[in-house]
Amino acid sequence: MARMSTREEHEQLELLQGTLDLLILQTLAFGHAHGHAIAKSIERRSEEVLQVGHGSLYPAIQRLLKLGLIVAEDGLSENNRKARFYRLTAKGRKRLYTETSKWERFSEAMGRILAPMAEENE
Amino acid sequence: MHWWKSRREQLEDEIQTHVDFEIQENIDAGMSPKEARHAAMQKFGNVLLAKERAREIWGWVWLERLLQDVRYAFRGLRNAPGYAVTVVLTLALGLGSVTAMLAIVDSVLLRPVALPHPEQLVMLSGKAQQDGRTYALSYPKIDALRHDTRSFTAVSGYNTMVKPVGTSDGTRMAVLTEVTPQFFKMLDVRAKLGRVLGDADEKTPVVMVSALFWKDWMHGDPKVIGSTVKISGQLRTVIGVLPEGIHFPLGTEAPVVYMPIATGEVGMFSGDAATVMARMKPGVSPQQAFADASSVFAHSGTGGTQDRDTLEMHSYKDYLTGDMQRPLLALLGGVAILLLISCANAANLQIARATGRMPEMNVRSALGASFGRLLQQVATESAVLSLVGAALGGALAYALIRTVKAGYGSKFARFDELTIHPGVFGVSVALALLAGVLASLAPALSIRRHTDVGLMTKRATQRSRLPGLLVALQIALTCVLLVTSGLFVRTLRALQDVKLGFDPRGVTTMVLMPEDQHIAPEIARQTVARLLERFAALPGIESATMQSSLPFSNFNVSLNGKTDVNGRVFHEGDTAFYSLVSANFVRASGIDLLRGRGFMPQDDSSGAAVVLINQAFVNKFLAGRDPLGTSITMHRDPGDKDSDIPFTSAMTVVGVVENDLQGGDLGAPFEPMVYMDYMQLPISSGFTSLFSMVSQFAVRSTLPQAAVDKELREAIKQVAPNMAELGLQPMDDAISGSLQQRRLALRMVTGFGGVALILSAIGIYGVLAYSVSLRRREIGVRMALGSSRAGVVRIVFQQAGKMVLLGLVPGAAAAWAAGHGLKSFLFGVKALDLSTLGTVAAVLLLVCAMAAAIPALRAAEVDPMEALRAE
Repeated sequence: MARMSTREEHEQLELLQGTLDLLILQTLAFGHAHGHAIAKSIERRSEEVLQVGHGSLYPAIQRLLKLGLIVAEDGLSENNRKARFYRLTAKGRKRLYTETSKWERFSEAMGRILAPMAEENE
Repeated sequence: MHWWKSRREQLEDEIQTHVDFEIQENIDAGMSPKEARHAAMQKFGNVLLAKERAREIWGWVWLERLLQDVRYAFRGLRNAPGYAVTVVLTLALGLGSVTAMLAIVDSVLLRPVALPHPEQLVMLSGKAQQDGRTYALSYPKIDALRHDTRSFTAVSGYNTMVKPVGTSDGTRMAVLTEVTPQFFKMLDVRAKLGRVLGDADEKTPVVMVSALFWKDWMHGDPKVIGSTVKISGQLRTVIGVLPEGIHFPLGTEAPVVYMPIATGEVGMFSGDAATVMARMKPGVSPQQAFADASSVFAHSGTGGTQDRDTLEMHSYKDYLTGDMQRPLLALLGGVAILLLISCANAANLQIARATGRMPEMNVRSALGASFGRLLQQVATESAVLSLVGAALGGALAYALIRTVKAGYGSKFARFDELTIHPGVFGVSVALALLAGVLASLAPALSIRRHTDVGLMTKRATQRSRLPGLLVALQIALTCVLLVTSGLFVRTLRALQDVKLGFDPRGVTTMVLMPEDQHIAPEIARQTVARLLERFAALPGIESATMQSSLPFSNFNVSLNGKTDVNGRVFHEGDTAFYSLVSANFVRASGIDLLRGRGFMPQDDSSGAAVVLINQAFVNKFLAGRDPLGTSITMHRDPGDKDSDIPFTSAMTVVGVVENDLQGGDLGAPFEPMVYMDYMQLPISSGFTSLFSMVSQFAVRSTLPQAAVDKELREAIKQVAPNMAELGLQPMDDAISGSLQQRRLALRMVTGFGGVALILSAIGIYGVLAYSVSLRRREIGVRMALGSSRAGVVRIVFQQAGKMVLLGLVPGAAAAWAAGHGLKSFLFGVKALDLSTLGTVAAVLLLVCAMAAAIPALRAAEVDPMEALRAE
């Protein structure tokens, strides 16, 4: 991903559906968070390259809830507002592990395929 | 739905919180509140879309959307009431007539066979090799079929007649059906009370009765089993009552008495033959059964002339509904055309609406509505319209059925039982939905095309050809219906103009039957003579005659006999019908005497038989000869004994009369007839048995009908108290009665034609009005450039004319084909009748011109300045 972002510095990548799910799970691996915090965390950790249309976060969250990978609970935010927090389930943690290793293999493969082309273009 | 609502609110709250956090963050980063809100919203993206997608994950969203779409559809339709009302009425008319027609077809063709496994039931009859006529099978043949076939679980016979039956209420005419003992077991029917007939009842004096007989004639008495009824002087014990809904043998509810016959001996009333019905074994195909029965039939010969005959087999259902099947299916075709027209109309109106809504659709598409979602919405609107139309159509069908039932219930078999069955209504609702979906398909596709092109405005230049084609299709179909009704009108007129061959005015016909059917023929003949004498003596009665066959009567008996004409070599097929009349026949019936003389009183005693023949007889046997004085005899086949011939002596022709109607159909061809004085028939002739069955009379009088009826009835009571009256009506009533079926068909087809015409007019009006509204600017520019108002009107009329002509040409061809298909219903008019076609074309053009006038005038009123300002 880092390699791709070098080609056009300002391009913000649109996320594939499955990717967003994975990113949300990854974010929640550090602890529970509410929707806004998840969005911010993804932007920050991808150095603002992965632009999460915040709106698209919510369908993804509902999907993960339905699959039982995360659960929701009411809580108070850092500035003392009522918010809905999400947390990984055991099943979600397991899924995060398998998905991550799958992604690593995938991006490694993509990287090998695309590397010569990227060099030619430079 | 509470949890659903709270879940929705929770999602909304959550998203609101999210946006609030973002705004707060932006403010903290130094933005103004306004900028902060703007940036937050931009970052979040389409809020509605996010909510909708999230809810989609939950499932159920289709239901929510459906409700939403239905609400939306109603709201949209409230804003376009003219459109909604037109579409609903269009569909209601189409679906209403289809539902009514389906109900009639269902009630008349499908329901009557309400017996277990009706598909296994077949009718068997013999078919004469000589003249192709079918006849009931003899008892030996029935026994052979019963014992030697392997394909049937049972083979049974029955005979049906109308006989006087006495109950505690007195004696009345009832349908009497003689059945072989196994009959009801074969039908697989159980008794409502008591039991059904069985083998042990073969020679015992027992009867079963139909549910209606039990209800009407026995007061629905639950203890009726064991009581007696009197048939032809004999007391018979009631052993069972059939359940309601078993309408055997007429297929319609009737008071029927069933009594057992034994195939071993001659029946109580009928000779030694019966109509045969059989049930095929499960899994046996009709072809196998037919082959099996045919081979048994062929090998059970008795050495007579019938040995070369063949067996015929029909399904019970066809047998029961045969005469109604074709006319009803033809009417169903007419209704299908009507449905097509209304669907085309609805589709056209929807195309116009969809095109008018293009800008709205484009905006919604741009706001993120998917094509599928828009499609769903359009389909929902159509479905809502269709269902409302179906509901109205159902009400219309109900009203139609009630009207038909009230008007014709007593006149046609099974019309008294007409009802809309739930299944039939279900079919029509399915049709409504299908029509709705099909109608929405066209506009929906046009939306797709237009969104793809990215069209943002109503463009006058890009008009679809589809609406015009649909109107042309409507015109073509309307043309077919109108031409067909035109042909029916001419048929009815031709039938009314048929030369009857006799003068029906002032003639009253009468059918009498001896209560005791075992009365000796000779005694019955004397009763007829006494009645005639008495009738003739009544004040105001001009003359009276007996006639063994009366025009339009259902009780005609005539003899179809091979005939030798002196001076002519006999050929196979040289047969004529022999009918008995009395001396006053020519005067009383009013038949036209073409040559020679009528009967005279002295003919009776002279000994030499004299006869009258009709024109058809002359044409067939005596063309080019002087018929008077010709001698005719009944033909004797080699081996025939005297007893095989109904009448052995020679007959001399003394007069020729006009062709007289024999059956009940004015359009039927005339058969060669020989009229013989009933007193000249020797006692030894088998034909005399007809006197103990039925006697028919025609009486001529100038008195008012009520007075004639009263006089005749009193005379019968005095002279022949043991004769029951089967019918008494003026001949004129019989004539108009015989046209009933055609008149009903005519009314229905004309009704369809009228509705089709209205729909087509609406269609033309709709398309033109819409097209004018699209072309306002173009018309304005034309006028600004010097076109006159008359010129503008001409443009609109040209467009209308094009659609009409495009429809008329194929319409005329299709009408010709339809006329050809309906040939057997036509009389006195050809399938291609140019004057009918011309009239229909003129009517269509006129109606279309009227429909086009309003949009044309509206076009003429376009203000060129307004159009130019808009440019």
